[in-house]
Amino acid sequence: MSVSETSSTSVEKPNPIRETIIYLLMAAVAITTVGPFLIMLSVSLTQNIRFITFPVELIPTPMTLENFQTLFARTDALRWLFNSVYVAVISTLGGVITSSMAGFAFARGDFWGKNVIFVLFLGILIMPDTALIVPQFVVLSQLGLVNTYTALIGPWFASIFGTFLLRQAYLSIPRDYDDAGTIDGANLWQNWWHVLMPQVVPTMATLAVLRFMGNWNSFFYPMIVTSKSDMRTLTVGLGTVARSGGDAGLDMAGAVLGFLPTLLVFILMQRYIIRGISLSGVKG
Amino acid sequence: MAVASPSQRATSQFLRRLRRSLPWYPFIIINAVVFLVFNLVPWISMFRYSVLKTDLLSTREFVGVAHFINMLTDAKLHKAMLNTAWFTLMYIPLLVAISLGVAVLVNRPLRGMKAFRAIYFLPNITSVAVLALIFRRFLSPRPDGPLNFLIGLVGIPPQRWLIDVYQAMPSIVGISLWEAFGYFMVIWLAGLQAIPNELYDAAKVDGANGWRLHRYVTIPLLRPTAAFIIVIATIGALQVFGSIFILTGGGPVNATTTVVYQIYNEAFNFGRFGYASALSILFFLIILLIALIQSRYLRFGEDVY
Repeated sequence: MSVSETSSTSVEKPNPIRETIIYLLMAAVAITTVGPFLIMLSVSLTQNIRFITFPVELIPTPMTLENFQTLFARTDALRWLFNSVYVAVISTLGGVITSSMAGFAFARGDFWGKNVIFVLFLGILIMPDTALIVPQFVVLSQLGLVNTYTALIGPWFASIFGTFLLRQAYLSIPRDYDDAGTIDGANLWQNWWHVLMPQVVPTMATLAVLRFMGNWNSFFYPMIVTSKSDMRTLTVGLGTVARSGGDAGLDMAGAVLGFLPTLLVFILMQRYIIRGISLSGVKG
Repeated sequence: MAVASPSQRATSQFLRRLRRSLPWYPFIIINAVVFLVFNLVPWISMFRYSVLKTDLLSTREFVGVAHFINMLTDAKLHKAMLNTAWFTLMYIPLLVAISLGVAVLVNRPLRGMKAFRAIYFLPNITSVAVLALIFRRFLSPRPDGPLNFLIGLVGIPPQRWLIDVYQAMPSIVGISLWEAFGYFMVIWLAGLQAIPNELYDAAKVDGANGWRLHRYVTIPLLRPTAAFIIVIATIGALQVFGSIFILTGGGPVNATTTVVYQIYNEAFNFGRFGYASALSILFFLIILLIALIQSRYLRFGEDVY
């Protein structure tokens, strides 16, 4: 994890006993976070397991994929997986591009209403999303958008947090770049796309990862705007699996299916996630 | 040649300004439309519906401020507010202590530290559904359930966890802590590492050592980070919903019904969308008030040096 390698707390002389104690403590914490995931994986591969009982068999014999077959046969899990991928990808791409556009406009633009709109955006940012869920549902049901991808993707197609993040990034670029572009005959769009955006790609990547994870893991909103099983996202669908009281093997197969995609993104994009959090402290 | 009149000049200035502005609007138009449809309009509809009695289908009747008066005597709402406060008061101190403790633990130039930090972050990347699937099984009331087995090793009898009126909320707190501490550890680490080493050196020159080094350098300089974490975590804690929805459904006997869960209940189980909208306004005001008080008290956003 790359916050930084260096430490600022006290300069310690190497002390083997102290170091051992620290490692033991860290290992103990690590067991509490990794342990449940390991047990989840092993139970998902165990045959006919109704309950998780301790002591648990970490490497099941025989190992089987039956639980996953049951999951796909009995629920719409494959469809949920598709929905989640589709919604998360479109939401992420859309949100990052529009944030980049608006961030550019707020950093460089000189237009009527700039400050008013900016303050309005700030006002929306402080609104806790759970307080807005009911009215959002009311509006969407009046527009006939319940159970549509539009409802699932819509709010994610723009990000105020992202707009602020990108605005800051653009502000850190000297104006000389814009001027050089303009002299070379570039219009605003060309300046944005060819001259300035390449320099904020790391910020956009950070935003993209945060948005992807946030969207994939979101539960309340997508649950509210979908009532049909085939429109649910994986997170919402797995929520219904958890409530339905199947056997442990099925539950853990669902958990593995929900966990693996985020784990993959985390492993590949870890440094962007950490950067995003330390940069802002606010989730996508 | 005629001299332009003031109004003509104003018009030409207006046109110039308009011409300068126009090219920028396409850059914000998508944002604006999204916020209009998914934020501004719902905002307005929240106020409009707060004075109506409606199930969105057949009934629709103006009731004025009746909803807000009913809140005063709504026992379920009061219970939900107490539950939310109870959750937050258990959760925040533990979260701050645990995440800071772990951050201090891993903030050392030791081998493998990065891997440990990544491992601690793992629970945070899981969705609430995965969390619920796992912990519903781990908190099984069976004597041979995972957690009951583990506490049995140290001689504690099996507990009922999520299905016990007194243990359900602490169980939810525990699950939330497990999920969140890695995230706040990262923020603490950023705060710890932002403290310049020179300050420690200077303090040592002045004769500070060990605990006093932390007392007079680390702790004061971490205040902005602490303020940030407490405000952000509190806003999150007040909105707890997903894990409760899946794991306990607000039960047993409303023991885990939080304000958000109650709003959900009123709207989607009882079809009282007007009352739920009024509750949403109340909830928003409560969060705003608490965040403002905290920010002021913790001097949020102020620099320390």
